[in-house]
Amino acid sequence: MLTIRGLQVRYGAITALRGVDLDIKQGEIVALLGANGAGKSTIARSIAGLLPFQGDITYQGEKLVPNAAEKNLRRGIALVPEGRGILARMTVYENLLMGIYTRSDKSEAMADVAKMLERFPILGKRRDGLASLLSGGEQQMLAIGRALLSKPKLLLLDEPSLGLAPLMTDTLFKMIAQFRDEGLTVLLVEQKARQTLKIVDRAYLLETGRVVTSGTAQALIDDPTVSDAFLGGTH
Amino acid sequence: MLIQQLVNGLTLGAVYTLLALSFSLVMGILGILNLAIAELFMIGGYLGFTLITAGFPLPVAVLGGMLGAAVIAIAIEKIGYQPLRDAPLVTPMLSTLGFSIILQNVATNIWGSDPAQLPDEYFGKQYALGPVNIGEMQLIVLVATVVLVALVAYIVQKTPMGRALRAVAENREVARILGVSADRLTMLAFILSGSLAGVAGVLIALHYGTITPYLGVEIGLKAIAVMVIGGTRQIWGALVAGPLIGIAEVLTVAYGGSQVRDFVVYGFMILILLLRPQGLLGGARSDQGQRV
Repeated sequence: MLTIRGLQVRYGAITALRGVDLDIKQGEIVALLGANGAGKSTIARSIAGLLPFQGDITYQGEKLVPNAAEKNLRRGIALVPEGRGILARMTVYENLLMGIYTRSDKSEAMADVAKMLERFPILGKRRDGLASLLSGGEQQMLAIGRALLSKPKLLLLDEPSLGLAPLMTDTLFKMIAQFRDEGLTVLLVEQKARQTLKIVDRAYLLETGRVVTSGTAQALIDDPTVSDAFLGGTH
Repeated sequence: MLIQQLVNGLTLGAVYTLLALSFSLVMGILGILNLAIAELFMIGGYLGFTLITAGFPLPVAVLGGMLGAAVIAIAIEKIGYQPLRDAPLVTPMLSTLGFSIILQNVATNIWGSDPAQLPDEYFGKQYALGPVNIGEMQLIVLVATVVLVALVAYIVQKTPMGRALRAVAENREVARILGVSADRLTMLAFILSGSLAGVAGVLIALHYGTITPYLGVEIGLKAIAVMVIGGTRQIWGALVAGPLIGIAEVLTVAYGGSQVRDFVVYGFMILILLLRPQGLLGGARSDQGQRV
C-alpha cells in the first residue's frame, strides 16, 4: 500500500531523516518506535504531506508530492497529529463536521457523523460543548473520530497515548487493534514500545533518523538486543 | 436631541462595524492587519458614487463598489501577501501599507483631491418617526449593515466554508490535514473582506453625499480602533464596539465639540489596550491575538 525509499528530511541545518526505507501492506498495523527525536513523527508528517522531503513515498502506486496535505487526505491518508490537533474554539460537533469537509456524499457523511457520536457516547453527550473543555482522552477520541470520518484507507496516529492516563491508554490501544478488523491500515508512532508491540503486526525501530531494525512484533519482542535497547531489558 | 444623536451614532457605528468586520476577517485568519482595506473602502465609495451619478440604481452601485474592491483585494493577496506569507508578520503588513498609498494616489489621479459632492436629489428623503428624523440613506445603511452582518455570521458559523475559514484561523496545519486548502481559504478571506469594505464605502459615501481620496484613512483608522476595542480575534467584537464608538463619537461632537471627538475614540482604544488587550468580547487575556 505504501512504500518509502530513501526518505530524507531536513529542518534547516538539522537532518531529521537520513534515508529511511519502509513498507506498509494493506490491512496491517505497523509501528514506528524510538526515542524522542528519532524521526518517527517526521515520517508520519512526511506521508501526510506536511513537510518538504527528498526520496520517494509511493502510495497505492502513485508517488506523493511533498507538502500536499490536502491532496493526500483526498487520496485516503489521514493523520491524527501529536497533541491531537483539536480545533479548540469549535464545538465537538463542528470538529466532527470538519472530518467530512472533503466528502462529496454529504447525506451519507452526515449519517456517519451521527454514527460516530454513537460510537463515542461521551462525544455525543458533549456534542455542543467546546472541544477545549474535553479531557485529554476525550480529545483523542474526537481527533480519531474526526480522522475516521474522512474515510481514510491509511490512518497515521502520531503518539496517540501521549499524556493519557494508563486506563485510557489501554482503551485506546484496544480501539487501535480493532481497526484491523475494520480493514483499516494503520501507521502508529509510539514511545510505549512494549504495549505497542502487543497490538501491531510489524514495527520499525528508529534511532537518530535511521531505521536500526524492523520485523514482526513477535520477532522484535524475542530479540534480546531489541528488548534491552527498547523494551527495558526483560531478556 | 439625544434620541436623534443616538440614531446618527448608530448609523456611523454601522459603517464602522462593517469595516471593522472586514479588518477582522483577515486579522483573525492571518494575524496581519491589511492596511489597504481602508483604501478598498474609499475605492468602493468612489465606484458607487460614480455609478449613482451615472444614473445606475443603488443595488448596481453597491454591487459595483463591492466587486471593484473584491478584485483589488485579490490583487493585494496575490502580489502583496502570498509571496510574503512566510516572512515576519510585519513584512506583509508593510506591503499592504504600500498598496494603501498606491490606491490613494490612483484615486487622486482619477477623481481629483477635491471632495466630490452628490447632488441633493439623491437620497434626500427624510422620514419623521416621532421626534426623530431618519434620512433615506441612513435607513439603507442600518438595514444593509444588519443584513450583511447576518450574512457573514451565517457564512462563518453555519457553512462548511465558514468552518474551514475558522479552522485555518485557529490552526493552519490542522486545517490542511483535514483537507482544507489553506491558500484558497486565505484568498477567500481577502475577497470577503474586500467585498465588505467596498459595500461599506458605497454606503458611507452616499450617506454623507461627499467623498475624498482621504476618506479611507479617516474612517479606516476608526474601524481599526473598533476592531481593537471589540477584540482582534473576535470578529463579533465589532458588532458591539461599532455602535458603541459611533454613538460615543456623535455624542462627543454634539455635547463636547468636534475638537475632542478623536480624543475620545482613540483614548478609549488605548485604555482597552492597556486594561483589556483581548478586547471587550475577548475571553481570556491570552486571546488578545498575535503580536503584529
